[in-house]
Amino acid sequence: MSEMAKRQAARGLKLSDLLVTVLISVVLGVVYHFWSSVYSLLSPLFFQADELVYGMWFLASTLVFLLIRKPGVALIAEVAAAHVEILFGSEWGIQLVLYSVLQGLGAELVFAAFRYRKFSASVAALAGIGAAIGSIIPDFFYGYVQDYAPWLLTAKYIMRAISSVVICGYFAYGLVKAVEATGVTALLRPVDPKDYAALDK
Amino acid sequence: MNIAAEVTALRLKFPGEENFVFKDLDFSVGRGEKVLLLGPSGCGKSTLLQVLCGIIPNLVEIPMRSTSQRLPDSWGILFQDPDTQFCMPYVDEELAFALENRGIPREEMMDRMEDVLTKVGLALPDLHMPIDALSQGMKQRLALASVLLGEPEVLLLDEPSALLDPEGREQIWQAILRNAEGRTLIIVEHRLEELLALGLVDRVVLFGPDGIPIGEGAPAYVFAKFQAELERFGIWYPGVWEDFFSSEEGQRLLNASPLEGRRDVPKLVELSRYQGLRQGQPVISVEQADIHPGDFVAITGPNGAGKSSLLLSLIGLLPSEGVYLLQGEQSGHRKGSKRMGKRRKDNRMARSIGFVFQNPEFQFVADRIPDEIAFSLKQDGIAEQDIAERVSHSMRQFSLVGLEERHPYQLSLGQKRRLSVAGAAVRRQPILLLDEPTFGQDAVNTFAILALCEELRRQGTAIVMVTHEERIAHYLATQHWEIRGGRLVSREHTPRGRHLFGRGEVEGARKERSLRPYAQIFS
Amino acid sequence: MNMRRFLTPKVQTWMHRANPASKLVMMLLLFVMTLLTHRLDFIFYQAVLFIVLLFALSGYQPWKVALIILPFVLVFVSSATTMILFGKGDTLWWAWGLLHISEESFYRGIHIGLKAVTFASQGLLFVLTTSSVALFYALMQQMKLPPKYAYSFMASVRLLPMVWEELLVRRNALLIRGLRPPRGLAGLATGAKLYAVPLLSQSIRRAHRVAVAMEAKAFDGSRPRTYFYPTAYSRYDLWIPVLLIIVQALAYTLAMLYPPFGIADVRYH
Repeated sequence: MSEMAKRQAARGLKLSDLLVTVLISVVLGVVYHFWSSVYSLLSPLFFQADELVYGMWFLASTLVFLLIRKPGVALIAEVAAAHVEILFGSEWGIQLVLYSVLQGLGAELVFAAFRYRKFSASVAALAGIGAAIGSIIPDFFYGYVQDYAPWLLTAKYIMRAISSVVICGYFAYGLVKAVEATGVTALLRPVDPKDYAALDK
Repeated sequence: MNIAAEVTALRLKFPGEENFVFKDLDFSVGRGEKVLLLGPSGCGKSTLLQVLCGIIPNLVEIPMRSTSQRLPDSWGILFQDPDTQFCMPYVDEELAFALENRGIPREEMMDRMEDVLTKVGLALPDLHMPIDALSQGMKQRLALASVLLGEPEVLLLDEPSALLDPEGREQIWQAILRNAEGRTLIIVEHRLEELLALGLVDRVVLFGPDGIPIGEGAPAYVFAKFQAELERFGIWYPGVWEDFFSSEEGQRLLNASPLEGRRDVPKLVELSRYQGLRQGQPVISVEQADIHPGDFVAITGPNGAGKSSLLLSLIGLLPSEGVYLLQGEQSGHRKGSKRMGKRRKDNRMARSIGFVFQNPEFQFVADRIPDEIAFSLKQDGIAEQDIAERVSHSMRQFSLVGLEERHPYQLSLGQKRRLSVAGAAVRRQPILLLDEPTFGQDAVNTFAILALCEELRRQGTAIVMVTHEERIAHYLATQHWEIRGGRLVSREHTPRGRHLFGRGEVEGARKERSLRPYAQIFS
Repeated sequence: MNMRRFLTPKVQTWMHRANPASKLVMMLLLFVMTLLTHRLDFIFYQAVLFIVLLFALSGYQPWKVALIILPFVLVFVSSATTMILFGKGDTLWWAWGLLHISEESFYRGIHIGLKAVTFASQGLLFVLTTSSVALFYALMQQMKLPPKYAYSFMASVRLLPMVWEELLVRRNALLIRGLRPPRGLAGLATGAKLYAVPLLSQSIRRAHRVAVAMEAKAFDGSRPRTYFYPTAYSRYDLWIPVLLIIVQALAYTLAMLYPPFGIADVRYH
């Protein structure tokens, strides 16, 4: 069946993939926006407690990838979410563009390393760490984190990694499983060749 | 005959499903024909529509094949849900999207927009108007306008009036009729009253549950010959209400024995100079009203008149002012849902009132049906044994037996609705509020829901139902409340209510309601 | 609706009339420049001048601008605190347990806070003078962004209020169903799921339907597009780089002439 083969080869992003990616990310962008209030409140009160919720800002990349399972969506998701945050007049401003690109790339590279074929909680957790690493780069230029006391620097990023593993890895995975149970993800996933074969019965 | 769209030996099957939707179906539509596809819910009519224009498999991948297919030269499709057909926030921008896609020069755009809006009968003071500000019926006509800008030869209509109120239904079909000239129409629709009254259709194809056509021909012929099938498939054919209520089942529903001695039972709800508020502003005012055990209150009125607001304030999700006696005690408060959230434990409202939302999915909280029904009971801390008993009783009562392991989202539209009523009524509250429970449902499911409500009513539950169906108010209700512009403008005890309660004269302004003689359309 | 009215500028300044795409590029260049600023006095004047620009060029009434920039205080404090308390430095002012405030860490903290405020003002200057739809139209026409991406964004922004409505409905439904407030971390995750699953699945379905409806209107890129909002470059696009260069030069000159702190580089060496 040549037509089917052709369709399988062209597994690029369809408009529906893109729209689902962007809509979910836009919704998460609003969540991010409110999350930054939580973050801002936490940060002066507790000693670096804010880092424990930092992983939330990478959720779009792993959640959307686990749902759609296609190359590129992790990066697009993260940038789209940041776009909304800026649109909402985020007090964190234009630096979010840079953060989002690097975070999205970090997650995307991890999924790519598994050739976009692994959708487990642990791979999502790794992608979360990838995004966290992406977020460190601008921290150096913007926040001079290299000038923190060394113990603090270590503690800060270990906490960020833990929060990424929990939120982007296990929480995102659990959420996607729950959404899969509703049957709606059938709209997003490519059709199994078995289902084409079943037509000949 | 000149063919507009055709498919032969179509095989189609949803991934992971056992049964074929279509197995070797041949189907063709001639140029200029106006064809109506009928059949039970889930028989694949909408799927066929999408195959005929190539949406399946070009845009939506579903396993299918055919020996040959002819796609229309140009086509446009109008979907069911008015809210999911737009990509831009403003009317002009949305229409421009369709024109941009076709490469129409900027200078011509405004004229074309105004022209097409006139064609669909949508008069707007300003084209740069937020789409959100339009009613559902207007949105659907805007969606039609946007489709017409593509100048389609074949117009496919996928239940375009299913989610509209009667006024919206009338107007969308009028708009379609005005633009039908010279076009091929392929229509899927369950609600046929308005559509057939306009004489829009010249061929009807009736499908069976397994996707096989069981008959076709001119409307009058099909409706005469396949009366029993139409009834069984839940199609809203003209006269379906009258047929149902004259059937044995319908008679059983109507003929309740009067509630002896119920007149002296204390009132469940008494409202007096009552107002429901949003952001401190009254959105619904009720001068005087009351509800007894065993009442069936039908609330009707135009969209946005305040019907849903009344339900929300009765259950305490909106703050309210004035006298609201719930089982004799003053209820309602100026603060609304906050207090309900905080003091839920001692809140009488949630214990006295059940609530069925318009969209069942938003009410579901569990992954399995029995857990879904048991949820509120578990939150109340009722013993496991009692819960199991009540759940299995509900499963039987609401015809959900055999679906235990299904995820609630995976149920059919009718099953979802029954489950949502089961979940809301399981606490056996004396009052059940329902927000348009028959909306978008087929006739069979609508009658099933009404039968369930009537059953609860006979056990003494007061049913309060917001609805667009005049006939529910006419045949089943004991009280009919009409809401307009944020006010309860009329409140009458229906003949049925007067019979059941032995009530005296009418309260409020009595209005004589005449129902259109649908049954005569095809005499 | 009230929000929409609130966020409509009172007057259109020339900043509104500039091409959003070129404005974006300029803003990103500016961003890099601010990011690499390590001179405390320079960043101080940048923060001040961009706040002034916000009042002058956003087209909003001063009280609205004041209201919008109120959270900057929070941004400043939360950005600056950690560095002030835990940053490296040799001239110790105060120490208590793990907390070390040194002269260097203090000024570095102030610097980070001011930088955050500068970014926030620059971002707001862009957002308040650029409508989202105009931005995407310009990106399609001047930057050759594929329409697929642009329209996915615009459609999603349109769908957003519906998700918000659904969130409110869901909250009401859960209240009525008698959901108890969550306890502990696991309870929190379960609670989040109770909200997220219906909203996500409905969003997926809705986005999918909108995508199909859009493609059914010949949105396939097979024909050359025309544009309802044609965007082109204009003289305003020249004014923006000129303005930004003047502002930065002014900030630098002021930093040299009247340094409030007199610190050339806040980094630790």
